[in-house]
Amino acid sequence: MRLVSPSDSLPTPRWKLFATLHTCCRHVRFAIVAIVLSGATAPSARALPPPTAGEPLPAIQSLGIEPVSILLHGSNRQQQILVTAKPNSGPPIDVTHRCEITSSDPAVAAVSGTVVRGAGDGTAEIRVRLGARWAAVPVRVRDAGHVPPVHFANDVMPLFSKLGCNSAGCHGKASGQNGFRLSVFGFDPDADYAALVKEARGRRVFPSAPEQSLLLVKPTGRLAHGGGRRIDPDSADYLILREWVRQGTPVGEAGAPRAVSLRVSPAERVLGLNAEQQILATAVFSDGTERDVTAAAGYTSNAGHVAGVDPRGRVRTGKSPGEAAITVHYMGHVAAVRFQVPRPDAPHPYPALPANNPIDDLVWARLKAIGILPSELAGDAVFLRRVYLDVLGTLPTPSEVRSFLADTDPGKRAKWIDKILDRPEYADYWAQRWADVLLVNRDKLGDRGSYEMHRWLRAQFARNRPYDQWVRELITASGPAAQVGPVNFFRASASPEEMTRAVSQAFLGIRLECAQCHHHPFEKWTQDDFYGLAGFFNGMQRKKLRGDDEMVFHAGNRPMRMPLTDRLVAVRPPDGLALAATEEGDPRGHLAVWMTKPENPWFAQLVVNRLWKHYLGRGLVEPEDDLRTTNPATNEPLLDHLARTLVKNGYDLKALTRLILQSRVYQLSSVPNATNKDDEQYGSHYRVKRLPAEVLLDAVCAVTEAPEPFPGRPRGTRAIELWDNRAPSYFLDTFGRSERLSPCACGRSSEPTMAQCLHLMNAPEIERKLADPGGRVARLVGQNRTEEQIVEELCLAALGRPPGEKERRAARKLFAGGPPREAAQDFLWALLNSHDFLFTR
Amino acid sequence: MLPAFCDGIDRRGFLRLGSAAGLSLAQILRLQATRAGEKPKAKDVNCIFIFTLGGMPHHDLWDYKADAPAEIRGDFRPIKTAVPGIGLTDLLPHTAKVADRLAILRGLTHGDSDHGRGYHIMMTGNTPGPGDFNSTKNNNVHPSLGSMVARMTNQGGSLPPYISVPCFLRSGGPAFLGPSYAPFVIEADPAAPEFAVRDVVLPEGVGGDRAVRRQDAVREINRLERAVEDTDKDVRALDAFSAKAYRLMTSAKAKEAFDLKHETAAVRETYGMTSVGQCCLLARRLVEAGCRFVSIEHGHWDTHRENSKSLRDLLVPGLDRGFSALVADLNQRGLLDSTLVVLTTEFGRTPRINTMAGRDHWPQAFSIVMAGGGVKPGIVLGATDKIGGSVTDRPITPPEMAATILHALGIDPGASLHTPLGRPVELASGGKPVLDLFS
Repeated sequence: MRLVSPSDSLPTPRWKLFATLHTCCRHVRFAIVAIVLSGATAPSARALPPPTAGEPLPAIQSLGIEPVSILLHGSNRQQQILVTAKPNSGPPIDVTHRCEITSSDPAVAAVSGTVVRGAGDGTAEIRVRLGARWAAVPVRVRDAGHVPPVHFANDVMPLFSKLGCNSAGCHGKASGQNGFRLSVFGFDPDADYAALVKEARGRRVFPSAPEQSLLLVKPTGRLAHGGGRRIDPDSADYLILREWVRQGTPVGEAGAPRAVSLRVSPAERVLGLNAEQQILATAVFSDGTERDVTAAAGYTSNAGHVAGVDPRGRVRTGKSPGEAAITVHYMGHVAAVRFQVPRPDAPHPYPALPANNPIDDLVWARLKAIGILPSELAGDAVFLRRVYLDVLGTLPTPSEVRSFLADTDPGKRAKWIDKILDRPEYADYWAQRWADVLLVNRDKLGDRGSYEMHRWLRAQFARNRPYDQWVRELITASGPAAQVGPVNFFRASASPEEMTRAVSQAFLGIRLECAQCHHHPFEKWTQDDFYGLAGFFNGMQRKKLRGDDEMVFHAGNRPMRMPLTDRLVAVRPPDGLALAATEEGDPRGHLAVWMTKPENPWFAQLVVNRLWKHYLGRGLVEPEDDLRTTNPATNEPLLDHLARTLVKNGYDLKALTRLILQSRVYQLSSVPNATNKDDEQYGSHYRVKRLPAEVLLDAVCAVTEAPEPFPGRPRGTRAIELWDNRAPSYFLDTFGRSERLSPCACGRSSEPTMAQCLHLMNAPEIERKLADPGGRVARLVGQNRTEEQIVEELCLAALGRPPGEKERRAARKLFAGGPPREAAQDFLWALLNSHDFLFTR
Repeated sequence: MLPAFCDGIDRRGFLRLGSAAGLSLAQILRLQATRAGEKPKAKDVNCIFIFTLGGMPHHDLWDYKADAPAEIRGDFRPIKTAVPGIGLTDLLPHTAKVADRLAILRGLTHGDSDHGRGYHIMMTGNTPGPGDFNSTKNNNVHPSLGSMVARMTNQGGSLPPYISVPCFLRSGGPAFLGPSYAPFVIEADPAAPEFAVRDVVLPEGVGGDRAVRRQDAVREINRLERAVEDTDKDVRALDAFSAKAYRLMTSAKAKEAFDLKHETAAVRETYGMTSVGQCCLLARRLVEAGCRFVSIEHGHWDTHRENSKSLRDLLVPGLDRGFSALVADLNQRGLLDSTLVVLTTEFGRTPRINTMAGRDHWPQAFSIVMAGGGVKPGIVLGATDKIGGSVTDRPITPPEMAATILHALGIDPGASLHTPLGRPVELASGGKPVLDLFS
């Protein structure tokens, strides 16, 4: 980048200043029109504010231009330029669309907006001016009159992806759209070529009259197009398509350079509200050349309300502070630009916050960057109930609550966290959570198989076996299903493809499933990655043994074939080295080693993200098992720190849990303050969570002291101890226990339904628990406790805290209205239907 | 900016996976699908979906082959119906009288002769990938029609939008749409004297006064710090459903919908005091009170042996009475235009009667019946060959059947829903509605 100091300033003629102003106005008007137009079709675009190119800039020290020099080779090449102002203080500011851009020789290099195009061979200089500051870059133009041969896969196909033609909602769906079918996300260039050139009696392309090709007539809206108008006839996209048809629809040279990587600039920026930033996207080709693909790339924002982006890579922030990542994709390559938009009324100076451990420091750093303050620390009673429910799926008993509240040790929270982590319910609860992810489904595994798998899982958590160790054992398991619990993981999947999906999603958090049929739409994963991984499981076999037992074993290394081409795909982990082709025997050991080695970026990150999601209510990455460049964490340094810590402590999940529980972040109140009430992702307050189905049923039983009978299980069996996800229970079905059909954690739902509400209010089963002669109400009333004692005991049992004024008032009315037993039942009924019972706060 | 998808969902919105908005992925996708589903706006046509489980023999009911040899024709005789030219068998005397209200679709066809898979195909319109669908209780890989309807229509009524009776239908689940779109299951036989719908009435021993006191108490206790409630969507969502549940309990009209005692003995008799008959009657009450989709299972049609005897003695009489009474009753109440009745099954049965006097599975050609909801009355669509073995005219695939039902209900069959993986899935799996069925 060539920076120009103020003393270099050119004298500014008056007419030129006017021209600058005029250009700015035109930009502004153009942009507003574009937004209004797009608002009609894309509602979320409405959230974008009008650009405020007219907002005053701070004093500028210098201007910089990217790229530092421009080479345009061929008539259809262009270069987006990016102009950055360095103010006297504060972060750099994008002024690309606010400055005047001129060419020293328009006959060589023509400027169109913020894009430079070749006009004739030779050299020139592009000059950029903003007020009194200016900068320049040299341009060289070669073969300006020559259109390079268009390459179908390199030049045409990316447009189908960018314009959405081959998306699964349009021509990319299996049935095509209106008779025209493209492979979804362009996974099959040969088929797409045939569809365009050979089908529909050649009406899609007319080399003799390119403009009359349906390929150009439809998307420009000259003929009715179900997908609407998608290409502007003046755009570079249109020119490429037209030129391709005119050249006689060439496939392109076999050895033509292919894009090998994508570079974006800037990589990261802090932006104000209503600010903008041009992105510059550059592709590097296999022959070492680079090309501006800003106009050809596709752009998406992961938080459009914070920062939206238009198809030319121009990003605009709105009125919401926060963070956004703009994903840029081109030819299967992806890169991301991250934006931070701090609150304008950020507390200043930001107070120094106390920290219990590095988690706090990392979260506070993020909160400070965005300008929000964390909530207060939660009270003791809220804390205790929260830890019990989150760690053990179990309510604290009244005596535990009393004893914790009475404990005067200033370090009592840490002490109790240790005590709670040592309880046996930890293993029950976490075996059940993992059984959801690992699909311990009786329908598929049978009684014995699911029992053994669950028992094995529970044992891993009971002895807190290092995560990498038990995963290695599971990935390489062989043996009879009735004896070797973890082999049942492979019985849950019917094919190597299903195993691949299960393994990649359960332990790596990469959704290779997409790449089974097509290139992952937002990631680098290809079908080679999918079938390479599937190769590890291609030899998995099952042999019937006595009863419903089965022997599960691997019959030897056998690569998979790609369905479309029948090509053998080398057995290899995604992003890893292929196994030697000569290797025989069970290859899963290699996979297990690759998965669990410390350098594997996904293995530790996924599990710490799962834990974070469980305890804090939202993953650092969401969905929790979808780790990818294009879906960055809300706090990357924290995710990184947690993952490293886990590796360093030998994959000790309990130690990591302890670290999370001990952080102030986990112990914050759920009551927000003025600055963090809109925050749902940075951990500035605890997120209220509903009790999951099994935990809720156990809680109802514990509070009423009336255990749930499960057929075939000893009395007193708790729902979190069930190994069988099909154990008949209207309650668990209604409150949404996991179906265990898909490896994503989405099988379990915390969304309410009417049936749930009706059940809690009216179910005879619950009424029987309230009125159980051996239950809590009967016991308290039978012991002749006073109203006050009864109310206190019931609140401690259900809410984990003594009654507040509201509970006392409600109780007084009930006790005044009926006999004590009935009043106590009614009061407990009200507690069971109250927010403070149904949610963890 | 250009919408990247044909359905108007912009790619940016689509990509906002687990975004800063803090919505769960499912919620976001659901919101988007809502947007996609807004056009065309769902008409207030409801659906009563009667599933004869096991495989309904088309030869013996809807596609009689008078000229075929006895081992194909079967044991029944043709009878005249209300429509000249439409013949049914003497198993269906009551239905024959309402034939002028029916559209008989004789060209249904799919290739799967497995019960579990056929069930899935006919309740969703979607053919699942390989796998065993018989041993799972909730086997959906694609949402059932009922769940799609619940998802795509306004859930503002005081009844759950999707109810199934007298049990959960195994392929009636919501698949990836999640439990919010699962049916409200009435797991009881409405023909039984003690029939009651669980949880909609106050538990025994809790009188009206006490219920009011309880509600007052919970309201008092739930009065929490405003700040939290304002920000917490989960709490708000629960409150919304609690309020609906309470409305259902307290609204006489809604609650009465579940109570067959409000029907006269004569009406109940017309429907027949059988499980399927009373299910049909209950379904009529439910759609009258605002439910959008009622699914009814009528079981044990898997007549591999003693086909004729089972049909005559066990299966058809109850169905004939209940189904015909439902169609006639809806018609008489002026509700037939706004109610689509579908009588369907997983597949038909073999042309040739086997050595055990039974018929086996036959998915290549079979019949289903529709009535109301804008479907042309008194017609037969499609035909099979002489032995009822293959479709010779106007074949209808399961995706087309699903699209037709959704279309009748005012829902765009081409609208997309998104799986948790972010993959768009068309409601009707690419099927187009059979427009010949509508006037």
